[in-house]
Amino acid sequence: VQARASFKAVAEWQLTGKVTSANGEGIPGVTVVLKGSTRGTTTGADGSFTIAVPESAGTLVFSSIGFLTQERSFTGAQSFSVKLAEDTKALDEVVVVGYGTQKKADVTGAIATLDASKLEERPILRVDQALVGTLAGVQVQQNTGLPGRGFTVQIRGNGSITANNQPLYVIDGFPLEAVSPNSNGNYANGSPLDNINPNDIQSIEVLKDAAAAAIYGSRAANGVVLVTTKRGKTGKPQISFNTYAGVSQAVRKMDLLSSEEWIERATELINGAWVRSAPGRSASDNNDVRRAALKLAPGAYDPGLMPDDRWSQPGHPGLDYVDWQDEIFRTGKVQNYQVSAAGATDNVNYYVSGNYTNQDGIVIGVNYKRYSARANMEVQASKRLKFGLNISPSYSISNDPGVEGKDNILQKLITTAPVVESTAGLNTNYGKFDRYLWANSNNSPYSLLTDRQQRSTNFRTLSTVFGELQIIEGLRFRTTLNLDNNDARNKSYVPNATSGGLGATGTFSAYRKQAFVNENTLGYNRTLFDKHSISALAGYSYNFFKTETDKLKSSGGFVNGAVTTLNGAQNISGTADNGTSETQNVLLSYFGRLQYAFDGKYLLSASVRRDGSSRFGENDKWGVFPAASVGWRISQESFMQAVKPVSELKLRASLGYSGNNGIGDYSSVPTLGIYNYVFGNALSTGQAPNIAANPDLRWEKSRTVDFGLDYGFLKNRIFGSFDYYTKTSSDLLLNQPVPGSSGFGSQLVNIGEVVNRGWEVEMNTRNLTGAFQWNTALNLTHNQNQVKHLGAGDAPIEIGTAAYGAASVLLQVGQPMYSIYVVEQTGILTQQDLDNGTPIIQGQTVGDPKYFDANGDGIISVADRKIMGQPSPKLVWGITNTFNYKGFDLSVLVQGQNGGSMYSLIGRAIDGTSMGYNQNVSGNQRDRWRSVDSPGAGIRGQARANFSPLLSSSWLYSTNYYRVRNITVGYNLGNVLNKRIAQGARVYLSAENFFGHDNYTGGYNVEATNSSNSSDGFSVATDYGGLPLTKSMTLGLNVTF
Amino acid sequence: CEDELDQSPISSGSVPTFYRSATDFNQALSATYSVLRGYPDRELTLSETRSDNIYGVSTQGIRPWESVNNFATTLATSEYVDDAWSSNYTGIFRANVLLDQLAQNGSVLTDDARNRMEGEAKFLRAFYYFNLVQYFGPVPLVDKPLDPAAVRTINRTPVAEVYDLIIRDLQTAGDKLSSSYTGADVGRATKWAAKGMLARVYITRSGPTHGIDGPGRGTNDYAAANTLLDEIINSKLFTFLPVYADIFSYTNENNKEVLFDIQYISGGTGLGASYPSILVTGNYFNSVVANTSGFSTGDELRAASDNLINTYAQNDLRRAQALQVGFTVPASGSTPAVTEPRAAFKKYLDVPKRGSSRTDWSINFIVLRYTDILMMKAECVLKGGGAGDVDGIMNQVRRRGIANAPLVTGTTFDQLMEERRREFVGEGLRWHDLLRSPSAVNIMNNWIAADDIRNRMRKPINANDLIYPVPQSEMAASGYLYKQNPGYN
Repeated sequence: VQARASFKAVAEWQLTGKVTSANGEGIPGVTVVLKGSTRGTTTGADGSFTIAVPESAGTLVFSSIGFLTQERSFTGAQSFSVKLAEDTKALDEVVVVGYGTQKKADVTGAIATLDASKLEERPILRVDQALVGTLAGVQVQQNTGLPGRGFTVQIRGNGSITANNQPLYVIDGFPLEAVSPNSNGNYANGSPLDNINPNDIQSIEVLKDAAAAAIYGSRAANGVVLVTTKRGKTGKPQISFNTYAGVSQAVRKMDLLSSEEWIERATELINGAWVRSAPGRSASDNNDVRRAALKLAPGAYDPGLMPDDRWSQPGHPGLDYVDWQDEIFRTGKVQNYQVSAAGATDNVNYYVSGNYTNQDGIVIGVNYKRYSARANMEVQASKRLKFGLNISPSYSISNDPGVEGKDNILQKLITTAPVVESTAGLNTNYGKFDRYLWANSNNSPYSLLTDRQQRSTNFRTLSTVFGELQIIEGLRFRTTLNLDNNDARNKSYVPNATSGGLGATGTFSAYRKQAFVNENTLGYNRTLFDKHSISALAGYSYNFFKTETDKLKSSGGFVNGAVTTLNGAQNISGTADNGTSETQNVLLSYFGRLQYAFDGKYLLSASVRRDGSSRFGENDKWGVFPAASVGWRISQESFMQAVKPVSELKLRASLGYSGNNGIGDYSSVPTLGIYNYVFGNALSTGQAPNIAANPDLRWEKSRTVDFGLDYGFLKNRIFGSFDYYTKTSSDLLLNQPVPGSSGFGSQLVNIGEVVNRGWEVEMNTRNLTGAFQWNTALNLTHNQNQVKHLGAGDAPIEIGTAAYGAASVLLQVGQPMYSIYVVEQTGILTQQDLDNGTPIIQGQTVGDPKYFDANGDGIISVADRKIMGQPSPKLVWGITNTFNYKGFDLSVLVQGQNGGSMYSLIGRAIDGTSMGYNQNVSGNQRDRWRSVDSPGAGIRGQARANFSPLLSSSWLYSTNYYRVRNITVGYNLGNVLNKRIAQGARVYLSAENFFGHDNYTGGYNVEATNSSNSSDGFSVATDYGGLPLTKSMTLGLNVTF
Repeated sequence: CEDELDQSPISSGSVPTFYRSATDFNQALSATYSVLRGYPDRELTLSETRSDNIYGVSTQGIRPWESVNNFATTLATSEYVDDAWSSNYTGIFRANVLLDQLAQNGSVLTDDARNRMEGEAKFLRAFYYFNLVQYFGPVPLVDKPLDPAAVRTINRTPVAEVYDLIIRDLQTAGDKLSSSYTGADVGRATKWAAKGMLARVYITRSGPTHGIDGPGRGTNDYAAANTLLDEIINSKLFTFLPVYADIFSYTNENNKEVLFDIQYISGGTGLGASYPSILVTGNYFNSVVANTSGFSTGDELRAASDNLINTYAQNDLRRAQALQVGFTVPASGSTPAVTEPRAAFKKYLDVPKRGSSRTDWSINFIVLRYTDILMMKAECVLKGGGAGDVDGIMNQVRRRGIANAPLVTGTTFDQLMEERRREFVGEGLRWHDLLRSPSAVNIMNNWIAADDIRNRMRKPINANDLIYPVPQSEMAASGYLYKQNPGYN
């Protein structure tokens, strides 16, 4: 003991002191390290510290996040008084650009930045969700109410007609395989952002113009989204725990006829049918009279001609009235837990996290769970050599009995008659329970939801390993190996509605998607003669994408209902539904970039990328994508120094080319399809060409011209940017309809041109500073697209509407893409109209819809279609207001859009012309035309119509809306919490989607897309029964240790 | 590394490596046949539903086929019309590619095989073109594989020229094809199928023009047809089955009546038929076997017309085979009995022999059968195309339907056609047969006036309604190169 005491007495000096900020407050948690050793400590709550050091002169290093690091030397035991200056070069001053970072002040391209480090302070389940309403030029649509599913993201409008129109996502430098939604508008095979945990994200940068994005060449035409995950920072290791839990409900119910109203309508229709069925029949004939006339046995019914006697009996004995929406919507629940640890020493920098989230949907049977983890590690092996590894495994389980889309449960739910036999109840027309005689053949939606099993699991691992070598000062070589491995497995078990397990169908399908990317870059950064800042980059990249799919399907039902896996199936046969398949593609790239800044005033950037893709025809595999941009920081000029209110003013201009290769892997190859036939009572395999090959298939090109202005006033109390752009997409990859006499319906060709023109405003204001802080962030985007050229002779392309007769979508030069092209309904036909010879469709009479004879030929036909709307909104906006006062914070995000329309097929299904009595219909039908004396609201015609309707404007809805996306109130517990327990803590209450307005009566969600409104080859998605958005109330806690 | 940019499909064949072996060619041929699979459904709608055989007016809602049934002038947008055009051309394209490849790479085949394949491909190409001409009149004539851009410049070709190709192809097929097939080849087109189809082509072409640009050209080819029909009869390979129901029995497929049929099997391989159940409702199935409603295609009956029902004698076995007039689903639990007074088409339905789904029926669809050969022969004789015993054929046919039916003498053309209607009901022939009658428009208008109790059909119809409009999608895809048939908009 003595020896040790004497050793200590001899060997150490005691150093003490206090670290304060500029205004003299003690700073807790500052790392104090003896330079060149591992010896260190951190400051206490008041900023004071004590550290023992060996008795020799040395230096102490003081560092803390948000402050400039300071070094102080010592020569003996002493007390320090250290004032740390705030780090003015804060994080938001550097933006991530393709293959590197850049000082925000030097940026000459159009880049929108989202500081995502605070995402954990609000309940966000997906990365794309975080983008809603926050960035100018970025339109994010929530197309589905199913938890865990991808949103669609569109940057500066839609430039492509057939090829992909989603941006390229790059996570920590790893470009993920671009995936576009299918023609139904949803990500059947996974969105690139699936399973990515938003709480791990530090920042999101959106590269909007070609100057910024062209470094990603052939995949940049739709913009690039760079996602940067968190890194550890020097200082005390930071351990965070974030959690939230909440409840959610459907934002709204649809207005459908009530049971009584349904009965009233059914009676009207049935009596009408009876009266017309033979001369001398009257609506007042009772069922016995009708039975006698129809020669039916006593008690027998012909439901089309006879109403249910019980409808008119008091208390409708034996019948239950059902509101199906009330039966299947429920209160959803969500819970989320995230733990992370981050820190750094001189040599190692780490961030590790684990996350669990569980969400029960607002509909019976819908659930989503996700487990994810991340480890980001960087090792400074020597002064010149750095290694790193990012790895992020995740696993999700999604249950959905098949709710959304055409002929799926939600559509059944809406159209199922709201009256059932009491003996069957909610199980009507399911299992042993009979169909209600006056109802259509829908099986009970309730039973379908509870009985069907459809489960998708997704195990995804994103990994990146990299090495970086500093060759000489300023010159760095970096190589990365990236692998995204995505294993999805889907199981479905659908019992037969009448025979249960015996007639069940089961499927198993799986896919493995792999993206392997190797990138090698050489970068050089140098400032010469003080004023010339040069940054150069050259690189080579190899991308390999592979998808393997497996599928199995039962045939002949299952042995019984107890085993739902396919070993319980009677049989598995048929090549069309069973088998494996593989596709792959390769992308090779060379790229380079030069950035030059003179005196921080004059900025220049130029880049070029040359891409070769296996997807294109032999002679057109390679494409070159150059870009250049210039900037002038006027505010740095000496003549501006006198203009005090202007703190930042920068003019930007850019021109660049990018491309789009978002088509199938073998689109240029004349592949063969399987078309079997039967000979000798056995299958005879057949093969024939299944696409009209095009050996000249090449890149879709996109040219963007962008003029921008970055501004800051009043010491940046007001700052933001303005951009005006013209994006011209040409050589469009377009599935051109071709005459059927060619053997095909369409051919993928490079024709046409589309221009997207628009402007974007971002404005951030710090309205109030001081104790009560109020900040506003506003973004406003206007985009208008226009078709400039199409194929031969610029002939318009009518996009066939699958199975619904004439096309309702048109591509025409001079018009917006996918213009909605339908016959206009102008009112309801009156006798006077008929007497005046108002043009009609053959068979129309008084009480039917009146249409506009656009071509004036005296009859209503497909030739009278006209352009009635465009699907993309003209104006998209978002405003976030944040308030802080004494530890309380409040944030309100409002967003909306204007100028777009949707042609809704669910609207047509429940609000159409001449729907049967046996289905339920929209509440709009309440005010239908009933008779000359009861003409209703003049919008919906009589229940029974006698003509073949055309696709008309009756199912055209405005997609204008505004929505209070999020309101979050938080309270910082830091002031009441003992620092020994936690460094910081915050509780919050968050309300999502509680307020808003739109005029969509055709469905639940004005942005829903779940079915294709087009024949193959075009992506015109529409709503055929999509879930409503959810309004949720969530309570959360963030703690930092 | 740049070599990696040359990627070939892993999981599907591609044209550059196909047509290299006998197996490849056989597969290409099967794919050309496979287009036939949609033919029966199409005929049940575009021929039977269009005609006076079916009163396809729904009690509720408006079903897609009603524009066909009701003579809507907006038919150009009908999915059925679209399918008739595009499916037939898909078949023609496959036949064209196959013929082209046979010429280029056919040396991998034996001479016999190459000849037979050429015959089959030409039979099928003629079959598809004939279907097009019957429905649309002039259609673009494409007789070799062409790039879509080249096809875009080909306008609708006069019917006479299309017939030339059809006749040439069927003559080649008649020369090159085998008389019959056994075992694994049963179902292929034979020499006699080609000759029989050619006879049908001839009598169709000889039909009245009705003043429209349709399939009837008034060419008086009855003698040529008669010669072919006599050849078939004299081959003695086919017989007039004594029992009507045996022709359509699930256990008597490919019987001696059959000259050509479309082959189906059940078992969930995707090669079953859907046509047997497309005209009936779930209630019909439930009235036969409980809980089988899922085997119907919809919940709307396309009912047989009263006019059709009344053309039969009560005891006509052909009516019993084809129609179920009125049926009742028994009461069950709290659900009362449901009675459907109208008549369901059940000619091809054997509910206990159903497959795994409503598209998995195993029964073949007979396109051309021996009775038709005989009755076409009678037609040729009546039209002065040769000698033969018309009354004998009539009585043979009638007495199979009705035991001891009174013998007829001095059969007229109209009587023959009405007998054809009873005999071939539901076999997709009615509309085409009507077009051969000079009074087709009158027959239809009289029927509509009498039977359209729901007042949903356009009336009166006129000769323009005898053919269909060019699909709107084709008008657009051709850049409006095609001129629409008169009467449609």
